[in-house]
Amino acid sequence: MSVSKKIVLLGHFGVGKSSLLRRFVENTFSDNYVVTIGVHIMKKEVVVDASNKVTLIIWDVEGTDDFTKYRPSYLMGASSFVYVFDASRPVTYGDLKFNLGHLKEKHPNVPVHIIGNKVDLVDANEIKKALEEQEVQHSYLSSAKTGENVEQLFKDVAAQLLENA
Amino acid sequence: MLDNLRQDFINKTTQLVVVNRELEVVDSDNNLFDISKNSDITDFHPFFFALTTIFDEELQEETFFCVQMEVLGKHYFIDIKTYIGEDGDTLVLILNDLTDHYKTVHQIKQVRNESIINFNISQELNQQLEIQRSFKNKFLANVSHEIRTPLNSIVGFISVLENTEISREQLDVLHIIKDSSKNLVTILDDLMDISKIEAGKLDIKKRRFDFREFVEKLAKTYQIRTDDKRLSFDFELSSKIPRFLVGDHLRINQVIVNLLENALKYTHQGGIKFSVTTSSVNARRIPVTFEVTDTGIGIPKEKLDSIFDSFTQLEKRGLFGGSGLGLSIVKQLTDLLESDLEVKSVEGEGSTFSFTVFMGVSHNQKKEKVAKKKRDKKDLKGAKRPRILLGEDVEVNQLLMMRLFADYGAYSLDIAKNGERVVEYLDRFPYDLVILDLTMPVMDGLDAAVQIRNSSNKKVSKLPIIALTARTSQEEQDAAKEAGMNAYLTKPIDADLLFSTIERLLSRYKRKDKVLEISEEEE
Ligand SMILES: Nc1nc2c(ncn2[C@@H]2O[C@H](COP(=O)(O)OP(=O)(O)OP(=O)(O)O)[C@@H](O)[C@H]2O)c(=O)[nH]1
Ligand SMILES: [Mg+2]
Repeated sequence: MSVSKKIVLLGHFGVGKSSLLRRFVENTFSDNYVVTIGVHIMKKEVVVDASNKVTLIIWDVEGTDDFTKYRPSYLMGASSFVYVFDASRPVTYGDLKFNLGHLKEKHPNVPVHIIGNKVDLVDANEIKKALEEQEVQHSYLSSAKTGENVEQLFKDVAAQLLENA
Repeated sequence: MLDNLRQDFINKTTQLVVVNRELEVVDSDNNLFDISKNSDITDFHPFFFALTTIFDEELQEETFFCVQMEVLGKHYFIDIKTYIGEDGDTLVLILNDLTDHYKTVHQIKQVRNESIINFNISQELNQQLEIQRSFKNKFLANVSHEIRTPLNSIVGFISVLENTEISREQLDVLHIIKDSSKNLVTILDDLMDISKIEAGKLDIKKRRFDFREFVEKLAKTYQIRTDDKRLSFDFELSSKIPRFLVGDHLRINQVIVNLLENALKYTHQGGIKFSVTTSSVNARRIPVTFEVTDTGIGIPKEKLDSIFDSFTQLEKRGLFGGSGLGLSIVKQLTDLLESDLEVKSVEGEGSTFSFTVFMGVSHNQKKEKVAKKKRDKKDLKGAKRPRILLGEDVEVNQLLMMRLFADYGAYSLDIAKNGERVVEYLDRFPYDLVILDLTMPVMDGLDAAVQIRNSSNKKVSKLPIIALTARTSQEEQDAAKEAGMNAYLTKPIDADLLFSTIERLLSRYKRKDKVLEISEEEE
């Protein structure tokens, strides 16, 4: 049996949300930055195990540094949020705590996965330290460029959706 | 007519679709896209999975702005409105094609986001550079300090050696060693200055001073230096400039000395001209222009731009050394003095450096009477020799001071190896003056000075104290003053300065002592 679930990619602009999605769905990557406006939606079926599949309906939403400005219709009905930040640019994770607080308040029951992308550009240990200082629990450090952890992170999101279902 | 317009402007951009709870297409006018009746609308585009939520949560009316759709190879930006039908089991969708509008929005956001990201990245880089720079400055300060300490004893013992009986030949060699060591000291001082300027730690201190005397003394020094090199020296000091001005004479001195040294170094025939002029009189603040002209080797045109490059830049291009740090310091100091340093130069003919500093004109143009005290060694020798106590832990420095005092002969010197010992000795023996090295184990110079000042024995608490240190920072000088020390000397020890300071403090102490005795008698 296959269920479909909506997940939303959130985060500052330019952190690599669209790139992660493209790597996951099409297994391609481009160095060009093409800003996403509004929302771009893609789906992909994830095989969690022999008897379980999930079709992820992934909403790649226009990035913003102000989470209070997200259009409610974009976030509505989401089963999971994937919060992506750019590990090479501290401005994109300096406000993590604040934004997470805002999400928790508006969507108390939606789980959030925190992804530090562009890990190919930085020293992973430095980032881990910086996150520890902020006391945030990240799920993965990924790279849309090299593909590191991309498949894995979406698989984890899917698996968790099944557990909760 | 309206029907035609509607056909052109509305129908072509708007599509009406009706779906049921199973998300099957009940009806569609297919103005924009071909969506077959009875098909599952989520097969047309995954966006439409969202309609489940609309039904589930009975959202009567909802709008989804700017949904991207790729249909038959064409990229659309669509606003989608949803209304729950009257029966509650169907949903009316209005798809509004706003591709042209959103393309403009896209361009604007593309530019905006890119520029913000670039700004973030450059800010990040700047921060890293700043960290590196402050590390470099600290490193420089520490290294110079470390080098200074052994250099002190080298310079000191050269002076000692000079006064021993050695052959003419050995003396010549000794002078070369001495000059090189002094050069090394200058380079260290320059490095310290640069790191201080770059760290923003050097500030301008304005004080009233005898400007004319200051400039004349400088000129006299360089008259002698140019004579030695068989160069001419022209000096001009405009009579329009008042005697007492207010400004930072230390920094101005540093700039001029650097410029004159440079002129001296690169001029092998002809001469040097040093002029100090003003374009204005009778004002509270006057512009004073300093100009140093030489007939030296000059600077090639293509190098003119880079001669003032900061240490950082020199370092980057691997040009450190050779031309020295002098001009780079001059540039940074004139910046601090809010002055522009100008240079004109013709290769092979010579150079002119000039800068103008605004200085205050002091209200008081009268010279204070300084009671000149006759210094007379014999006099001191005839009387009981003053006893001096030195607190110093490093053995070579102890040796050096012993030699210097022995050569000078006017004082007797005792040495204690740390602050605690100093205090002990003072309790037991009578001294006339204390010299304290600031860094000592067990009890350092500052703590010892405080203890001395707090002593219940007036003979001890009033003793003049000289601080001695290899560090040259203003903070440390301030700390020494704070601790009640009367003078501050830096290593390498300049013997003349040391003994003149001792004499000055001793005579002041004696005067005060007398006053003290008289007032005590009167009580
Ligand atoms: N080195 C590296 N670059 C990446 C990675 N992921 C994305 N990028 C680059 O980062 C830029 C932005 O990527 P996008 O995927 O467009 O970012 P976004 O989060 O979708 O941005 P918005 O749509 O504006 O919110 C592009 O130039 C990508 O090539 C990565 O893992 N490593
Ligand atoms: Mg994007």
